[in-house]
Amino acid sequence: MAEAEFDAIVVGSGMSGGMSAKELCERGLKVLVLERGPEIVPERDYTDLLAPWESDHLDNVSQDEINERYYKQYGGVAYAIKESTKHFWVRDDEHPYEEAEGTSYDWLRGYHTAGRSIMWSRQTYRLGPQDFTANLEEGVGVDWPVRYEDIVPWYEKVETFVGVSGSEEGLDQLPDSVFQPAFELTDAEKSFKQKIEKTFDGRSVIPARIAHLTDATKEQLSLGRSNCQARNRCHHGCTFKAYFSSLNATLPAAKRSGNLTMVHNAIVRGLEYDTSTKRVSGVRVVDAETMEARTYTSRVVFLNASAIASAMILLQSKSESFPKGLANRSDQVGRNLMDHVSSAGVAGIMTGFEDQTVFGRRPSGGIYIPRYANITEKNKPFKRGFGFQGGARPLGNSSGQIAGIGKDFKEAHKRPGPWRFNVLAFGEQLPNPENRVTLHASRKDRWGNPVPVFNVSYGENERIMQREAVKDAQAMMEAAGCINITTSSANLSKPGNRIHEMGTARMGRDPATSVLNGWAQAHDVPNLFVTDGAFMTSSACQNPSLTYMAFSARAANYAADLISEGIF
Amino acid sequence: MTTRREFVKGLIISVGGASALSACGDAATIIATATEEGGQFYSSDEMALVSRISDLIIPRTETPGALDANVPGYLDALMSDWASAETQNYHREALKLISGQLDARSGEFLTASEPEAIAALSELDREAFEGGNNLDGYRSFKGYITQSYFATELGATEELKWVAVPGVWDPSVKIATGN
Ligand SMILES: Cc1cc2nc3c(=O)[nH]c(=O)nc-3n(C[C@H](O)[C@H](O)[C@H](O)COP(=O)(O)OP(=O)(O)OC[C@H]3O[C@@H](n4cnc5c(N)ncnc54)[C@H](O)[C@@H]3O)c2cc1C
Ligand code: SF4
Repeated sequence: MAEAEFDAIVVGSGMSGGMSAKELCERGLKVLVLERGPEIVPERDYTDLLAPWESDHLDNVSQDEINERYYKQYGGVAYAIKESTKHFWVRDDEHPYEEAEGTSYDWLRGYHTAGRSIMWSRQTYRLGPQDFTANLEEGVGVDWPVRYEDIVPWYEKVETFVGVSGSEEGLDQLPDSVFQPAFELTDAEKSFKQKIEKTFDGRSVIPARIAHLTDATKEQLSLGRSNCQARNRCHHGCTFKAYFSSLNATLPAAKRSGNLTMVHNAIVRGLEYDTSTKRVSGVRVVDAETMEARTYTSRVVFLNASAIASAMILLQSKSESFPKGLANRSDQVGRNLMDHVSSAGVAGIMTGFEDQTVFGRRPSGGIYIPRYANITEKNKPFKRGFGFQGGARPLGNSSGQIAGIGKDFKEAHKRPGPWRFNVLAFGEQLPNPENRVTLHASRKDRWGNPVPVFNVSYGENERIMQREAVKDAQAMMEAAGCINITTSSANLSKPGNRIHEMGTARMGRDPATSVLNGWAQAHDVPNLFVTDGAFMTSSACQNPSLTYMAFSARAANYAADLISEGIF
Repeated sequence: MTTRREFVKGLIISVGGASALSACGDAATIIATATEEGGQFYSSDEMALVSRISDLIIPRTETPGALDANVPGYLDALMSDWASAETQNYHREALKLISGQLDARSGEFLTASEPEAIAALSELDREAFEGGNNLDGYRSFKGYITQSYFATELGATEELKWVAVPGVWDPSVKIATGN
């Protein structure tokens, strides 16, 4: 084999790719990051400094444009797609996909430097020991080939770098991270916490853990990052680099090592396989703008294009050795597609706090209620469990939906208004091989790549779990003394809508039933690693990005070890 | 009694203003629209109605009102550039209905005296928020007026005391009552 151009190629510059690239670069390896989207330049493309009046039309994207270009994205995540942020989202007309009859799927995403780490909501939680053993204990899916203890040092390393604000709680099922100070709870939230913890033995209410700097370290300051300014403009990017994104943190760290090469507009469409070495020998790309085809070579390849896109790259890489797609001897690539599942949000008014308000706009989060189902409360009529996100804030009145006209109406907007508490469950989805993404047999996108076809639906366990979660939420609202408790539509969230898609190249112990080993290394192709959500053997119920990054850092260091041992 | 506004004003001073990094730049240009002329979307009659209602809902008090902030111009741009044909239609029909109902209550709404106009609009508003008379279109219109007002520089800064860079999160701020 000719000398490889790079030590490592990382496909995708998002949450997981940024971490893979940083760790590989910091180990002294020459790394090429291939990113299918255009470059985001913070000074030019972040819009967080725009004042409300600097955007026209209430910052809404025009309705015709939504209907023509953002029908899926806006349908799924309207709150984050504004005129001043739409450049962070894919245009559905340019990036179509199909859904099997009778199903629907939300594939919500952005193609550009740093991927969805620019637009995420920054909730950051570790998985717990129970999450790595549940499949084995219940005979569901396949067993994780690793245990919580294997990942702990990598969680610690990643958290220290990323910056996570949160509080030490000592909970077994939701282990503490390395924390910077938490955003303090509001008094209404403290009252809720006290009542819930008293009424429901084994439940706790804790401050949301979010990837925001509240006590920046030297390392973070040296990357030009500073503490969060409580503006809640994070979906616009952050000029203060106060929340974690690849562009605010990992990519600059990779760059300053001097080992990073980054190429934008490079759509990876397949991996070449060398039958004599039994390794990936090249990464084939098409240029998004010029349509030029190129092949890059490296000793190891990391797929970090996100769970669905990485599975598609493998499925597109067919050869005589791998007729069903590269590393797909088990036929598990594209299968077991999971997300988290929600149903109704429950809200209520908390009285007794009318004489107070807040200052500053707390970004993301408020409270989190860690999983208790089948942990401290056994024998639920469903498997696994859910965590609740929520919080309390003064309702305010700027939407004009109160009665009255004239001076009184105007004055009403200056009062903070009653306090509203809301909670929403995020539940675990069980792996099911029938929930899958495949390549369309004939339909191609404008770059000649097959469009994906989704066939995903929820099962009985998700339905029963969410029914119970809503009941629990209502009971907690009542116990906290809320009035006017309302429950939004009880439909399950669409698959994909929680934007935690994962599982499409699962890890396992047996190459016959899984794609990757415990290092996120392909069983059948030793120089290929997949460290985005595709590796997840089960979904747990915690927001997953921290876990993707911990596994990415671990795999990158393992690959670097193998390179230094001369194996690649 | 300390109003929230005064109290927030105090706070802004105490955290040192909006900081050097606060947002700056040109305010969005709004096509200035005299109330008697039509706009890009509104006919002159519609513009007159929209202006009158906006003024009555958010009048000038010690702070600027909807007309000072050119809410009618903002709404005209919203309807011509943001709204789909369907929304435009819905809004136009709503204005017709609102106009008819106000005329029925006040004779001719646009020439009615201030107290008559206020009485007519108050009554319609009350019914709308009690869920009566097919007045969803009014509620949505009122929503546009209010949101537009607070999205203008005058509404956001003078009325809501919007702060670009709070810098700190204080979860528990007592609103002083009494003198
Ligand atoms: C609104 C929103 C809120 C969220 N909130 C949270 C939260 O609170 N907590 C949490 O943990 N997670 C959250 N998420 C999910 C989080 O963003 C994802 O888990 C995370 O970004 C996934 O990382 P990734 O590296 O797999 O993919 P991404 O971050 O999406 O990055 C993938 C990158 O690969 C590129 N790419 C794709 N295909 C190709 C190809 N063929 N060739 C080259 N490059 C390619 C893409 O352009 C992209 O840059 C949220 C997401 C959204 C959108
Ligand atoms: S709230 Fe904090 S993290 Fe979000 S944009 Fe503002 S400074 Fe950045």
